[in-house]
Amino acid sequence: MNLFTKPMRLLTAVVLQQRSDQVVKALLQLGVLDFIHISRLEADQLAKLSSKPSTTNRVVLEDLRGRVEALLKQGHLALPGESTLDVSLLAEPQVDAYRAVLDELTQTLLALKERQKVANQALLGVEEMRRYLAESKWQYLDLRVGSVKEGKSEQLEEKLSPYGAFVEPIDEEFVTVLSLRRDLAQIDPLLDKFGWTEESDPLLQKQAVVLVRTRLETEHQKLIDKRGEIEQSVKRAIAERKEELHAIWSNLRLNELSDQIKSYFSYTRNTTLFSGWVPADQAESVRNAIVEASGGQCVVEWTEATEVPRESVPVAVTSPKVLEPFQNMVNNYATPEYGTVNPTIFVMIAYLSMFGLMFGDVGQGLVLLLVGLFGSRSYRRNPEKKEGLLTRNVTNLLVYLGLSSMLFGALFGSYFGLPLLPPLWFNFEAAVEGHAPATALVRDVYGILGITIRFGIIIIYTGLVLNWVNLFRKKSFVPMLLDKNGVVGGVLFGTGIYMAFGFVGSSYRSFPSDPWIIPTLVICLILLFAKPYVQHFVDLKQGRTDKTFGQVAAGSIMEFLVDVLEIFTGYLSNTLSFMRVAGLGIAHASLMGTFKYLQSMVGGVAGVLIFIAGNLLVIVLEGLSAGIQSLRLNYYEFFSRYFTGRGIAYRPVGLKRSSSDNR
Amino acid sequence: MSSIDTYGFVNAKMRARLGKAREEAVTEALLRAPTLVDAIAALRPTRYAALARSYDQSGDIQSIELVLLKMEIALYREIAQYLDGVEGRFVAELLGKIEIDNLKNSIRLWYSSIIHRRPIRHRSEYLFKEVILHPVDWTALINALSWDGVVEATANTPYHPILPEYTEGSLREEGLFQLESRLDRVWYEEIRKATAWLKKTDRQKALELLDQEIDLKNLLILVRYGWYHRLEAKELLSLLLPWGEVFKSKEVNRYIETPKENRSASELLSQFLPDEQRVGDHSAVEEVLRIEELLAQNQKRAYRRLLGGDPFTIGVALAYFFLNKEEFRRIKAILNGKYYGFDEGYIRGVIG
Repeated sequence: MNLFTKPMRLLTAVVLQQRSDQVVKALLQLGVLDFIHISRLEADQLAKLSSKPSTTNRVVLEDLRGRVEALLKQGHLALPGESTLDVSLLAEPQVDAYRAVLDELTQTLLALKERQKVANQALLGVEEMRRYLAESKWQYLDLRVGSVKEGKSEQLEEKLSPYGAFVEPIDEEFVTVLSLRRDLAQIDPLLDKFGWTEESDPLLQKQAVVLVRTRLETEHQKLIDKRGEIEQSVKRAIAERKEELHAIWSNLRLNELSDQIKSYFSYTRNTTLFSGWVPADQAESVRNAIVEASGGQCVVEWTEATEVPRESVPVAVTSPKVLEPFQNMVNNYATPEYGTVNPTIFVMIAYLSMFGLMFGDVGQGLVLLLVGLFGSRSYRRNPEKKEGLLTRNVTNLLVYLGLSSMLFGALFGSYFGLPLLPPLWFNFEAAVEGHAPATALVRDVYGILGITIRFGIIIIYTGLVLNWVNLFRKKSFVPMLLDKNGVVGGVLFGTGIYMAFGFVGSSYRSFPSDPWIIPTLVICLILLFAKPYVQHFVDLKQGRTDKTFGQVAAGSIMEFLVDVLEIFTGYLSNTLSFMRVAGLGIAHASLMGTFKYLQSMVGGVAGVLIFIAGNLLVIVLEGLSAGIQSLRLNYYEFFSRYFTGRGIAYRPVGLKRSSSDNR
Repeated sequence: MSSIDTYGFVNAKMRARLGKAREEAVTEALLRAPTLVDAIAALRPTRYAALARSYDQSGDIQSIELVLLKMEIALYREIAQYLDGVEGRFVAELLGKIEIDNLKNSIRLWYSSIIHRRPIRHRSEYLFKEVILHPVDWTALINALSWDGVVEATANTPYHPILPEYTEGSLREEGLFQLESRLDRVWYEEIRKATAWLKKTDRQKALELLDQEIDLKNLLILVRYGWYHRLEAKELLSLLLPWGEVFKSKEVNRYIETPKENRSASELLSQFLPDEQRVGDHSAVEEVLRIEELLAQNQKRAYRRLLGGDPFTIGVALAYFFLNKEEFRRIKAILNGKYYGFDEGYIRGVIG
């Protein structure tokens, strides 16, 4: 893992056109080049270059791939992942042949679906009668017993089939006919044709009811089976062509990627020219791949990231897989600037500490841990599983949150809200409820508030230090020293903290009056005021500004006033904002205290149920609140000190995606 | 309770959903799908996944239509629940339109079965048979052996006093058209009555929208039956919904009174839609279709404008329902188009 964003190098290469296809394959295989369009060349050089229209239309490729995916989904089959792509199999896409395969399979499916439709409609007809029979709605049914004098009962049933009527033999002489009464106007003439003679024997009538019931059940089951069988046939028809579909999909995808790469190429009469960013540690392998693929007939040039404007360099950050949930938190916010600190590890520490302070309990943490572990396992076992409320990322995060909660739970001596073991640090619940022993490290809520404020100060200072490191690396020395988030800001914040603690220490009676305080404040404010002038002087010297001194002077006053306001209110509010950590922690302990009290009042099994329900409620509600508040503190209080988010993400084109490209 | 309290939450929810629907661009994906199988696949990752599941199980597009109807009813009920109070009651009353459409479908089936003596087997199972707004006994209706049975099935509903105005004989003779027009009128009567529950601003907004809708419907009736079918003045007048600007206007009166052979749809439309394209040199059928499309577009624009207006009125809810209904309609039409193998361009032309 890099503490900073990865160093990058800009590649510009020229290869012979006849070798460009091999080069594309090599670059696809490596998948580390973030292509840019050739635009930084001189205009007259650019004019000599041309771009070639693609031989295949990418939209056609995408559409065909979409059709393959549609068929695979219809067959409930997993889509082939990009990890299965093999660049050595890249071949000219046989668009017409692919289309023919897809059309043929689609026609097969549509024919099967048509059969399924017919079966389903027959099923619906049976279900209607079955429902009326079950609900004894005889007013809608017509059941009659009699004999057929002309023709056979099978022939009669065939004639009555458009109306969904059933003819069931009772014995050798009599049959029963079940139909819907609304169809009688059509059924009666048909029965007459067959010489129907009605029989009113009550015994036969009773027998008829049993027989039609059984017949309906049999028909119903038969039709359900038939419908299901056709559904299976649909799946089978697709499964039988799975390999073929996967092969088509892979070649289409490879061609899309290849086309994407080629879209960045420019051409002279005989050569192909392209350019892109590569992480410095991959530069050699890219060069070797191009040299090898082009048979050595190439020119490869490198430009260092320091030679181009920082904001145009894509940012690659690498974090170990285990830090992925926190990397995602950073990615969700923005991309760090090139060359600055990769905040992932700091986010992880800060986030987990905040969460643990708010939600410290060994038992509840264990529940989170188990949910996280089972959830992650379930996603790993079933990669195609649709993400629910607990997404892949959340289940991974829950593992960490569970561990953090358990650690802080042990520190606070809380096990599902019960003090089963002595605390390693202090008893949080006792401090909240005001019965902590006099010897305890923290005895009341003020103590808890103090801890979280100190914690907030550490977080803010960490942010400031990271900002100084970033500015130092960017060689922005003036803001590093004189900005409100620079050293001056840090000193002012430190002085403020000293005065605030002194004020609290004097039982809120007076501020400390050390002789260094006023001079420090005055010097810092002067330096803050001087910042625009110093910056202007530096910019003038480096030829980076055309502002006049008057313009700088006019802006400086307003800037100074805003900065002072931001320092005094911003730092104060940022620090006090961390009191929410205490607030959530106190709420957590209070809720658990309440449920324990309710349990003791009710007692017995009901009491145990209340205790379990209370724990579940706290896990869900407090867990969610603590998670959100920790995120908020990271994004607003921590990131605002050092994270500009002005970077552009590194997005290489290839078969594999880098971890920084997961967004 | 202020209008912000009433509509704040539901407005945010509806807008978020509209935004998501725009992102999903379901109808565009369906249109681009080359076959029905691809179109069904396009539904899977969207809020219409239930439609794909239904098709997987049944292979029948009609089952999809039933699922869509259930989704639409659920949509009204959900919003009514969020709104509570008179606004909630009003939104629930809007289900009356769906109920009347369902009633018309059921009567058509009954008509097919009893009057035309055609089996309606599975088709009756694709009817929505639960209570929508009033206690219509749907099962009794489609199984009625006579018109009296149909009337009986609508007991204790606002349709019950209307249906006895028709007899089996009159329906056999004249068809269902007059009855269906009458039922449409019942819907507007009922919903206009329901606007009285609303606060002044909401009432005005709701009536304004209803009048706009009625105007477009009346124009359509005047063109289709006055110009294309050339109905006599009296018959034509009986079909018009007696509200809105169009109904009251002198131009319409003049149009109705004009001898049926001399009526000009173009002239009529230019009075009410001056900015629209004039009626061209198409065949009469094409012309009617084009005018219908033109009026539908007009209505769509009116509802879209609503979304840009005051977010805390009943208008936003009405626009939301309209846009959803539109999307449901388009999905149904596209899937049917794909089923019958029509190409993308043709379906686009039909759905507008």
